[in-house]
Parts: sequence; structure tokens; C-alpha cells
Amino acid sequence: MPKKYHIAVQATPLNRDFVSKFKIVRGANCINCGKCTKVCIYEAHKRGAQDPRKIAEPHMALCKNCFRCIQECPRGALVKSLDPDFLALGGSYWKPDMFLAIYTQAEDGKVPVSGAGYRGPFTGPGFDGMWTDMSEIVRPTRDGIHGREYISTAVDLGRKLNHLNFDDAGNLASTIHPTVDLPIPIVFDIPPCILSPNVKVACVMAAQTAGTFAMLPAADITEDIQQYANSIIPLVSHEKITAYESVISDARLVAIEYAPALLKDFGSVKESIKKISEAVTIVRVPAMTGIEDVVTKLALSGAEVIHIVADYCGREAPGQGQRFVKEVVLAVHLRLIEERIRDEVTIIVSGGIAMAEHVPKAIICGADLTAVDIPLLIALGALLYEAPEMKLILPDGLEKMPTAIVARRIVNLMGAWHSQLLEVLGAMGIREVRRLRGETGRAIFFDEIDKDTFGKLFHKQETASI
Amino acid sequence: MKPDSVVIKTMPSRFKHQVPKYRVTRSDACINCGMCAKSCQYGVHERIEGHNRIRPPIDYKCIGYECRKNDEFYCVYKCPRKALSLSLNPMYETLGDCRWTADMITATWIMAETGYPPERTDIDYQMGNSGGGFDKLRLKFPENPLKVERDEISTDLRLNRRNDGRADVVISTPVYGGGMSFGSVSLSTMLSKARCASIWNTFTCTGEGGYPEMLHPYDDHVITQVATGLFGVREETIQRTKIVEFKYAQGAKPGLGGHLLGEKNTESVARMREAVQGVSLFSPFPFHSVYSIEDHKKHIDWVKQMNPKALVSVKVSTPNDVDMVAVGSYYAGAHIIHIDGGYGGTGAAPDIAKKNIAMPIEYAIPRVHSFLKDEGARDVVTLIASGGIRSAHDLAKAICLGADGAVIGTAELIALECVRCGNCESGRGCARGIASTDSELADLFDDEWATQRLVNLYHAWNVQLVDILQKFGMQSVAELVGRTDLLEHVDYR
Repeated sequence: MPKKYHIAVQATPLNRDFVSKFKIVRGANCINCGKCTKVCIYEAHKRGAQDPRKIAEPHMALCKNCFRCIQECPRGALVKSLDPDFLALGGSYWKPDMFLAIYTQAEDGKVPVSGAGYRGPFTGPGFDGMWTDMSEIVRPTRDGIHGREYISTAVDLGRKLNHLNFDDAGNLASTIHPTVDLPIPIVFDIPPCILSPNVKVACVMAAQTAGTFAMLPAADITEDIQQYANSIIPLVSHEKITAYESVISDARLVAIEYAPALLKDFGSVKESIKKISEAVTIVRVPAMTGIEDVVTKLALSGAEVIHIVADYCGREAPGQGQRFVKEVVLAVHLRLIEERIRDEVTIIVSGGIAMAEHVPKAIICGADLTAVDIPLLIALGALLYEAPEMKLILPDGLEKMPTAIVARRIVNLMGAWHSQLLEVLGAMGIREVRRLRGETGRAIFFDEIDKDTFGKLFHKQETASI
Repeated sequence: MKPDSVVIKTMPSRFKHQVPKYRVTRSDACINCGMCAKSCQYGVHERIEGHNRIRPPIDYKCIGYECRKNDEFYCVYKCPRKALSLSLNPMYETLGDCRWTADMITATWIMAETGYPPERTDIDYQMGNSGGGFDKLRLKFPENPLKVERDEISTDLRLNRRNDGRADVVISTPVYGGGMSFGSVSLSTMLSKARCASIWNTFTCTGEGGYPEMLHPYDDHVITQVATGLFGVREETIQRTKIVEFKYAQGAKPGLGGHLLGEKNTESVARMREAVQGVSLFSPFPFHSVYSIEDHKKHIDWVKQMNPKALVSVKVSTPNDVDMVAVGSYYAGAHIIHIDGGYGGTGAAPDIAKKNIAMPIEYAIPRVHSFLKDEGARDVVTLIASGGIRSAHDLAKAICLGADGAVIGTAELIALECVRCGNCESGRGCARGIASTDSELADLFDDEWATQRLVNLYHAWNVQLVDILQKFGMQSVAELVGRTDLLEHVDYR
């Protein structure tokens, strides 16, 4: 058995204020009696450092919403509310709570654990409309992240053969294509925004530490990034392959921007890469109406890895019946099965992968692995607003943040996600993430179960009359 | 019907203020005439004799816009200087969430205080705001129900239906307390749960953390839980009780086992669990001695052998095949099948598990109920549901879907003034002293107060359940089981 894959995490606080969910305002009738400082066990209330006769402004990052100060203030002088800055974050897909969750995981690398039951909506669009399954009794030992058992999260990228051919003498006649193994079903897709060099280097460093890859435009690959060549996926257009020969020659994976020309002649593009390196080729295709056809054609013409890119909220390109990435992947996966070539290509999916749970859910819907983008920056303190138009705000002074700290926070986030992936796999009794691909039977889909349970129970008359 | 031992006493909040729904603002135009203090019968405005100025309004006592119906009391109209105004308090939004809304929490507090459902009509407490499951189901009351007197209505639930000579356990209300271990909650919390169970002739469960000596007087109302870590389980604790519960999994963290962080493993907790103080304790998943239904039967036989009177309950979570697991457990000899849905409570669980693993209880109940029925086993086994039963109305809906009764946990803790802040597991534990074994925090309330609050809550639920049964013209809660025809779903009308 190979050595157990483990991402070493290390607490890396940034010692600066991120967003806080709550706001407490101290009214004019406060008599500075200090009761709040005594009852708060999180030390959000303290006497002033300059003037201990006065109570300082509450430290909201420490507030855990226990209501002790509110309920015990003798004058009822404290008023708590939801911080409007917090509520303004994100939008319909990126919920404000996600920012805190990602940021905290980047800080400590731990699986977010809390008391009390689930507090969100019953179901929701996209990935929120499905639950993963578990097994109660009849499965062999597994103990998730704490356990002795080995759960593999490894995937391999590349063209696989449908079957092997042998010649008359019994020798192998098929050519085995090269593949690249990843210990975790996640690659980094560095978001297309203006990033300072330290952040780009840190993403690549973090990818190397986690044993995975970071994808970035070949034009962005400077010398200090190139030293991590083993962990970089250069992204080029098919016309510029020769221009980036030096970058490609060192790479184990190379990504090509999709262009309709690729459909006609993927073979010659692959040939031109082959002349430079043995790198496995990824075709990066934007999610759009009819993507099933594109992916199928690419796969039939020999594409090895296809990366389906939805927008930052997990949507395909605007159009009639715009789908969420979950539905897109399901459709692509099923089409490839119909064409009997599903096992020959690797599917990466990205866009809207915001929480650890999205990784196994995307895989259940048919992806081999996922690519993560914006969370890499939220880990560093970036904020995102969906309306009126998408706006990503990087934290002040990010360009001066030490590369090692930036990298460690990204590694922490991946460490936490990896542990959570193990938890989900463990609960299902699945020991290998490869086996999860397309296993829709190991998930519960809201649409199906709701119709199957309540639809049947409460639609009796209608079905009877048919 | 309530047993004679149940006595309702008002048991107010232990805090000076409660979380206000409204905000009453007094402007500078106030001339301290005292008209508001005279007209408000709820005590929002207070004028102390000898003081020049009237005191700031006590928001949480205000019943809000409802007061407008009665011009006599609406201080805003009464004030000669128009110095008063009323608005929704922004603080209220920070309480609760869409499953447990601020109104539900407030109503549960009122029930725990008074023993009855709130009289105020401005609190929407029968349903949450989660947009699915119970929150989309409605009870469909007939226009002319059979006339039944309240005291003719039975809420008894028989737990042993196997006629196997074991204890004939009947509880007086179809609800009992969920397993919360010593360590995850304080001794006062455990003790008050056990005392309430004894007063209400129902049960509470030890959880996986041993059987504290202080519970011994209430043995007949305690369930010994045997979970995968076997913490604190001894032959003696199995022989002590009328029900032994095997916990295979918990709804909030299905397939993950239990987890007590080192900080909460204090000296007394460690002694009870026969573990080393300060070390994080994990209950594995699953039972490492159970890989088949035959192994499961072996476990049940073992308990039955050890305690010839006890009933066996099997607690499982709700995967796709929960119906098969339930039938398997029945064949293995269980008296009670306890299914714990995915949105259930916990003292500590990974957030990813709470939201994403296994199905909500609303789907599991009808599946298990009809599967057991098809198997011809429904009448000989008791089906208990938990994991998201927040109100008496949820309870009634769960029973209509096919459960015989329910287990509650979060509702009990809210009666003890939990605010669902979710920090049960961090540092010293619960800031409100409910889920903490920290020497200082665990002393924040005494068990007399807590017992009465729980007794009141159970009473308020029972009153509401009887109301519902009366509106259906039923004489016993058993008639309600599986009556999905009395429910409607807003999406499938």
C-alpha cells in the first residue's frame, strides 16, 4: 500500500480583521459597570486599554453570538444586529457564510466543526439539491480522517484504453498513453484577475506542497514560477503552442483553450505538443449549450483530458435553459457513457466549486476531478460581490504578504477540504474516490426523492384519474 | 393525558433580559408624564416613584403591533407628545436561523416558562422557514370533526409490541429525550432531563458517556445507550434500565462516529468514560463488531441475555437504504426502531456532514413505515423519529407520516435557554452553561429550574398535540399514525 497521503497544515493567522457576522452597538445608557466583560467567555468585551474606566468597543471577530452580554447588561444598553457589510457579501450563489468558512479553514486547516444541527434551507439549487449517501452497518472498517484505514483520494489524468490488443505472438500491441497521477481530485485554476507575483508564486508553491497542479496562462509563467514546472499547467491557445515551447517542454500537463478548430483537427494540435513534450493535454472548454456534443467530439478525436469551465457561480454560458454545473456534468457523463468512451477521457470540472462538499458532489455527478479557483483568493481575504456585476476585491497589502504565508493558507484550505472529502467517502464506505465518479446511486437528489415520497403521497387523485 | 405527577409552575428566564422582537424608542419630546407606564399592561414602561425621569423602555416585554388592536394600550397612540415609536428590533434577526426561527425559539422559551403555547399571536411558531419538509406540510383539519372531550384523549404510547414477556413500557406522551452524554452536556442538564422524564412518565437517554450515579433514582426512565466507542457501558448499566439503545449512527453526522474534544474531557468526564483526561475521544464508525445484520442480531441477543426485561431500541440514521436497515433490525429482534434524520442536532459535528450526508427525516419516516407495513412487521415494532422535530406540529406531522412518536433534543435545550449559537464544542463549552462541564459554566443554573422548564415544555407540547387530536376528532394519538391523508404538501396540491 502506498504511503498515506496527508496534507500537513499549520495555523496561519493573518492577524487582521476579516468580515464579522454581527455588530454590537453600545448605547449611551451604558454605565461602564463591566458586567459584559465578566459574562463574555470569549473576551469580546474588555475594558479600554487607554482608559479602563470605559468599556472598549466590542471585538466582533471574537463574538460567537451567545447573547450573554445582551441578556445580562443591567441597562439593556447593548444592541446586536447582523452586520450589513457581511450581508452584502456574495449574492445568490456565494453566501456570506461561505466566506467565513473558507477564511477560517485557510487559517487553521481544520474541518469546520460546530454544535447544534444544520441551520440552512431544506434544499436549494445546484449542489444544495443533493445529499450524499452513507452506509449503516454492512461495510468494512473505516474511520474517516481519524482512522487506521486507507481511503485513496488519488485520480489519474490522461487517455485510457478501452481494451488491450495483442499480436499473434501474444505481445502487447496497444500503445499505452502516458497519464499523470494526482493524490487529490483537485487542481488549482488561478482566477483570471490581476494578481501580484507573490500570489501566483504562492499558488504554485501550494500546488506543489499538496502534490497537485496550478493552471495559469503561459504568458504569466515568469522565471520564479517556472522553477515549479513540475506543478504547473501552462494554458495556451492552440495557435501559440510553438511560442511557448520552453514552458511546455518542462510541463507534465498542458492546457489548450478550446476553439472550434480543435474539433476538426485535435490530432495535429496534439502532434505539435508531442514534438515538444510528453505532457498530457487538457482541452479547456467553457460550459455552454450543447457542450455534450463538443466534449463527445473531442473525446472521439482523441482528447485526453477535458476541462469544463462554468462561470464563477457554476452556470454555463447564458442561453436558453441555462444549466448549473451539476446538470452539465451529469449530461456530459451520461453522453460519454452512451458513446462508450467515458473511461477513455478524464473530465475536470470547475466554476462554482466553493465548498469542500462540492468536490464529492461534482464527482458523483460524473466528473473525475474538480478545479478550484476563487476560494484560493478568499483564503487570503478576498471578497466577492455578485451584483450589480461580479466584483472581486483583493485585500489591501496582498502584494506585500510573504509568499510562504500565502502558500500556507492555500495549503491549509486544501488540507481541510481533503479531510472533509475523506469524511464523506468514509461515511459512504467508499475507499477510493475513483469509484465515486458518476455513482449517482450513492447520492439522494432532492427532485427525485421529493417526487418519489411526497409526490406519490399527495398526488393520489391525479394518478388515479389517469 | 398528563400524569398526576406533572405540576405546572411558572419558571421565568434566568437572565435579566430576553431577546426582544420589537424596539420601542422614546424621543427627546418625552415630558416624563408617565402616561405610557400607566397604559402599558405588559410592563414595557416603568416609572419609579420618586424618580423624575421615566426609565428606558424594556423592549422584550412588548407584544408589538398586535397591541394596536387595543387603543387603550398602544403607548404610541397614548403618548401626548408623540414621543414613542415602535419598530422591529434588528436584534431579533441575530437569533435563530431558517430551521429554528427566532419566533420558534421565543415560543419555546414561553412554553418552558408558562407550560402552555404562547397566547401572543404575533409569533409564528408552528413552522420554520426552511422551505421544505415539515415546513411545507400542513395539517388538514376536517370541518366537522367527531366531538371528543379533551380528557378523553390519550397520548399514551406503547413501546413493546412484541408480546415477548419483556417489560410492557407505556409512556404518557409520545416524546422522549434524546441521548446527550455526560461531557457533551452538564450534569444539571442530564439530571433535569431525567427528572422531567420521570415526572412525565417517559424517557431520557444517557448518550455515550456513562451513567452518572445521580441518575440512579430515575433508572426506570433512563435509556442506556450503547454506542460504537462503548464509553461508560458496563454490564451494570445495561441491567439498570428498561430500555437499551444501540446507536449505530447519528443524523447530524451519519457515518462519522462521535467526537468529544479534549478540552471537554475533564476529570469527571474521563472518570465516567474510563478514559484519560484531556484526550480527544472518538467513537468509531461503525460498530467494528457489526458487519452484517447477523452480527447486529448477536449484539441484540447479548443485551437481551444480560437484561431479560429490557427492550432494545436501535438508532440509525437515514441513508438510501434506511428501510432495509429498519426491517433488518426488526428481524434481529429490536422493539424500537429509532431513525435519526440528517438535519438533527449534535454537540459537535463537521458542518459538511450536518448539511450533506443522508436524507432528512421527512422522507425517511414514510419510507420506513410503508416498508415495515409491506413486510407485515409494522404492528409489532415501534417507530420513533428524530432529527428536526422542533415543535408539537412537527411531531404531529411526523406521526401522520408514519412514526409512532418522536425523540427531541434541541427543543429541550432551547427550553433551558439555548440560543443555538453552535459553540457547544469550543473551548470551555457552552456559554450558557447547558452543554459544558466547565466547573464555572456548568453552575449557571440549578436542576430545579431546569426540570420545571422541561416539564413545562413537555406539557405545552402535549396540550398542542391534544388540540390537534381534538380537531381531528380522535381519541388517541395511535389513530394518527400513518394518516398521510390528513396532511397536505404545498407543492403537490
